[in-house]
Amino acid sequence: MNTDLKNSLAQPPRWRATLLALVAAVLLQVLILVALPARKALTLANGRPVLLKVEPVDPYSILSGYYVTLGYPISRPEAFANGNEFKHQERIYAIIERGEDGFWKPLTLARELPRELAENQLAIYGQVEYRRIEYGIETLYIPETRRHAVAEDLRLHRESAFVEVKIDAAGNAALERLHVADRVYE
Amino acid sequence: MFPRQNQSAKFRAALKNELPLWVEHGVISEAEARRLSDAYQLEALRAESSRLLSAVIFTVGGLLLGGGLLSLVAANWDELSRPLKLTILFAALLGFHTSGYLLWQRAGWRRLGEALLFAGCLVFGANIGLIAQTYNISGDWYGAFGAWAVGSLAVAWALRSWVIGLLALFTSFIWFTGFHNDGYDNISFLYPLAVAGTVLPLAMAAHSRVLNVGGWLGILIAVCVFAGDDGSAKQLLLAMTAAGLLVWAVGNLHRLYGWRQELANSTAALGLTTLATGAYFLSLHAVWEEAQARQLRVVFCLTLLALALAAAIAVLLRARATAQRLAFGVLAVAVLLCGSVLLALDATRLDVLFTIIANLAALLLAAIIIAIGIGEERRVPFWLGSVYVVLLVLSRFLEYETSLLLKAAAFLGCGIAVILAGIRYETYLRRQDPPPPVSQTSPTEVAL
Repeated sequence: MNTDLKNSLAQPPRWRATLLALVAAVLLQVLILVALPARKALTLANGRPVLLKVEPVDPYSILSGYYVTLGYPISRPEAFANGNEFKHQERIYAIIERGEDGFWKPLTLARELPRELAENQLAIYGQVEYRRIEYGIETLYIPETRRHAVAEDLRLHRESAFVEVKIDAAGNAALERLHVADRVYE
Repeated sequence: MFPRQNQSAKFRAALKNELPLWVEHGVISEAEARRLSDAYQLEALRAESSRLLSAVIFTVGGLLLGGGLLSLVAANWDELSRPLKLTILFAALLGFHTSGYLLWQRAGWRRLGEALLFAGCLVFGANIGLIAQTYNISGDWYGAFGAWAVGSLAVAWALRSWVIGLLALFTSFIWFTGFHNDGYDNISFLYPLAVAGTVLPLAMAAHSRVLNVGGWLGILIAVCVFAGDDGSAKQLLLAMTAAGLLVWAVGNLHRLYGWRQELANSTAALGLTTLATGAYFLSLHAVWEEAQARQLRVVFCLTLLALALAAAIAVLLRARATAQRLAFGVLAVAVLLCGSVLLALDATRLDVLFTIIANLAALLLAAIIIAIGIGEERRVPFWLGSVYVVLLVLSRFLEYETSLLLKAAAFLGCGIAVILAGIRYETYLRRQDPPPPVSQTSPTEVAL
């Protein structure tokens, strides 16, 4: 290892070429960091707000390290009229409809983004994963100091738990915040 | 200038100690001693050692600094707004990289600068996780490691840094394990190709044996995982044997064609070790008794074998005399093993014959390794070859039902044979003239 370290230090590349290459490399890193949340950020900025009830995924594993795994009525394929027509890893658009209580409910699944929907309807892009549908809104990261509080709140007040989600015109969803027992986690 | 492989710090330190004695005993003149000292840059040895120590200290310091800053930020994370969080993350990333570059290129603190750039790449990885948390991004966990690997590899290439290259290799391997296990096993053969196209050239550019061996290890493991998918031991061992031959051949091509002399020995040794491992497992009868192997990855294995054979033939064409015979022996071992596996895919009834062939091939490989040790007067290959023979013999006795008396005789016989061989070898070495201080590498030697 000593020889490797010595060799790597012994032959410095020319500084101008090194600077250009390093700038390009760091720009790539910045680009990756910007691209990573870009779609979520745009969806949060421009998306239409939607309220979804929270359902238990695994009551024995609400808290997985520093995040909670959330499930919704729209996570179950059987909740949709044609849910059994779709198989594992199939990409879908879930059509949901706003109920009278303000919460959005599952309606039907489609393989293409519907061109026209009623005013009280929306399409969310997702993927069938075995017996569930994932929309990219299943994970909520929790600060270290509030981890046990949110786990306890979800255990005691799951019926009243709901999330605020934003959905853009293409069906992309972004999780905004979680409400449990008059407390907000975001 | 002498070949780089003769410029190991250990050799130069020994030479520096010996030179005054040689002058004192009239072996060489003072002028010749000065010329040797200049050729091997012996005066720079002390300064290099100090620089190595400072590089290690700075790298560890950079690691701690990066970790400390991230913990400090994480401790106050809840109270920060999202824009402030992002500002801190990007400022930390750019701060490490900028200060690292300025210290290295402008202030003459090269090792400290490189350590900070390394810490910057660690911060980049941590930033990926923190941004995912900030925006509640859920997705495949291994994707973060893939992004980390790409960003780190870019910086490693920009600086020709083997340390950052190692970070990129490590993170990319974690990505590969997740990617392969997540249902993308049909295209995961692209990973070894990507490592071969990015990490190995970086190791050559940085003259790094560690990164080179690490890169080849990543390729070997990925190739075996891909070939052995769905639990086919025969296909896995076919890939392992072919890949071992390929790595050994590339090591020798480094030496014979003068690509990177300093990478030749370690690469060839890794290849022979892989080949020996494959041969050992193929010497077990249970492997050949396996039910009809699935021919899922046969095209991949055949392509790998063709590549390995082409490389080995290139070695054969260039090597001369004893080295050529040894190279032919290694090629014969690989052909016997791979040929047997390919035939066994369709003819499982001949399992006893294939087991015998595999055992003979493994013994031949042991003999080659011992011959390299004797021919180049190197103890390590000699002893490794001897231990390999003993391992093969003992494994056979443990594998098959034989009487305890026979097993005892075999253990005793192996022990006595190895000790006698060792005594004869050591006696042989002592009879030889002491090796000259500068061992010029002949292009006809075979690397181990």
